[in-house]
Amino acid sequence: MVTTDTLDVKKLHKQIGAKWILKDISFETATGDLLVITGSNGTGKTTLLRILAGLLPKTGGQVLYNGAEYGLERGAIGYVSHKPMLYETLSVCDNLRFFGRLYGINSKVTEEELLRMVDLWPYRYEPVSILSRGMQQRLALARVLIAQPRMILYDEPFTSLDQEGQGLLRAILEENRPRTIQLVVTHEPGLLGELSYTELRLKDGQVEQGEFHGT
Amino acid sequence: MAPNFWNKVFLIFKKDLKDEIRTLSHLLGTLVFGLMLVFTFSYALQLADLETSRVFSAALWVSIYFSASLALQRAFAKEVESGTLEALLMGSGDRGVLFVAKFLYSLSLLLIVELVVVPLMWVFMGVTGHNLHLGLLVASLFLGSWGLAAIGTMLNGMTTQLPGSRLLFPLLMFPLLIPLLMGAVLTSQGAVLGETQSVMGWVYLLLAFDLIFTVVPLLLFDYVLEG
Repeated sequence: MVTTDTLDVKKLHKQIGAKWILKDISFETATGDLLVITGSNGTGKTTLLRILAGLLPKTGGQVLYNGAEYGLERGAIGYVSHKPMLYETLSVCDNLRFFGRLYGINSKVTEEELLRMVDLWPYRYEPVSILSRGMQQRLALARVLIAQPRMILYDEPFTSLDQEGQGLLRAILEENRPRTIQLVVTHEPGLLGELSYTELRLKDGQVEQGEFHGT
Repeated sequence: MAPNFWNKVFLIFKKDLKDEIRTLSHLLGTLVFGLMLVFTFSYALQLADLETSRVFSAALWVSIYFSASLALQRAFAKEVESGTLEALLMGSGDRGVLFVAKFLYSLSLLLIVELVVVPLMWVFMGVTGHNLHLGLLVASLFLGSWGLAAIGTMLNGMTTQLPGSRLLFPLLMFPLLIPLLMGAVLTSQGAVLGETQSVMGWVYLLLAFDLIFTVVPLLLFDYVLEG
C-alpha cells in the first residue's frame, strides 16, 4: 500500500548570527511530487534542505509533515549530500549493510539488488577509498534507498556523476516518485532532462518564483 | 522490524571497532603516546629517588589522562571528517544512541590502552605492591576510565564541529575532570598501599560522578551535538 505524505512549509525563517539565511519560505509538496530548488550560491538552498532533514534548527515558521511538526520520524527521511557520507575504510557491502541495519533492513537480496542497480556489484568487497568520486556518489544513492525513505532530499546529486550516472539518477527519481516526496537542490535543472518537476527558485533567502516544468 | 535503541548502539559500536581494527591508526597512536609517558615517568621518578608505591598512582593517572585526551578526541571527529555524522544522526533517530555507542567505543579504547600501560608502568617503576588490593585497583581504573570516556564523548560531541576544537577539547575537559582525577588517584593509591577503608568515600564519589556524566549527556545529547 502506498502512503501519501505531505510536506507543508510555512513562513520558515533561519537566522545565523546577524544574517537572515532564509526569510518567509512557504511551499507545499506531497508524495509523487518532484520539487527542484534552484538559485545562485549563498541563497540558502542547502540550509533549507538541512532544516527539512532535521539537521539544523529553524529560527521561525513551521515544517509540517502530514500536518504535524515532526510528523515524519528521522529514519523516514533520506539525505543525499554532495559529500557521499560513507566509511572509506569499510567495503562497499559493509557500508550498505551498516546503514541498512541501522534502518532495520537486513536483507542480502535488497543489498544485491541495489548494488546491481547502481552498477557496483563487481566492487562489493572493495574498500570505498578505491572507488572514484562518481562511484562513491552512486553508492551514496544506494545508502539512502536501502532505508526505503518516504521523503528524499538530494543536495547537488549530479555532482561527480558521469553521463551514465546522471541517467541512473534520473531513473531513480522517476522510479521513486509514486512512493516518496523528493526535493532536489541543483544549479543545473537542465540535467533533469525530460522529468516533470516544480521549480522553486530562491533569491537572497526568499522564494523568487515557483514554476511547473513538464507535461 | 525496526532496530531498538540497543541494537543501534551495538551496530555503531561494532562498526567503529571494525574500522579501528582495520586501520589501527587511532589505537596505535594512543598506545605509543601512553608508552612514551610510561618510560618518561619511570625514568624521571627513579632519578628523583622517590618511594615508588606512593607516587605510582599519580604518575599512572597523569599518563592515562594525557593518553585519553588524545584518544577521546577522535570518536566524533572522524565522523565529521568523513561526512558520515549527518548520515548517522538521521539513521540513529534518537541521538542518545550515538552518545552511548561512542562512549562504549571510547571506554573500550581506554581499557585496551590501560591493559598495556598499567603493567608496564608497574614493572618499570619497580613498585613492590606487598599490600596491593587488586580488586580495588581494577575498580578505580574502570570507574576512572568510565568517567573519562563519558566526559570525553560529551565534549567531543559538543566541540567537534566548532573551529579550534582540538584546542577547545582539552581546555574544557581538564576543569571538569578535576574531581574525577582526585578520586581516581586516591582510590588507586589506597589500592596499591592496601589502605582500602580510608578511600571508600572516593569510590562513591567516582560512582556518583560517572552516573551524572553518563545520564545527563544521554538526556541532552540533541542539544550537545548542536554545540
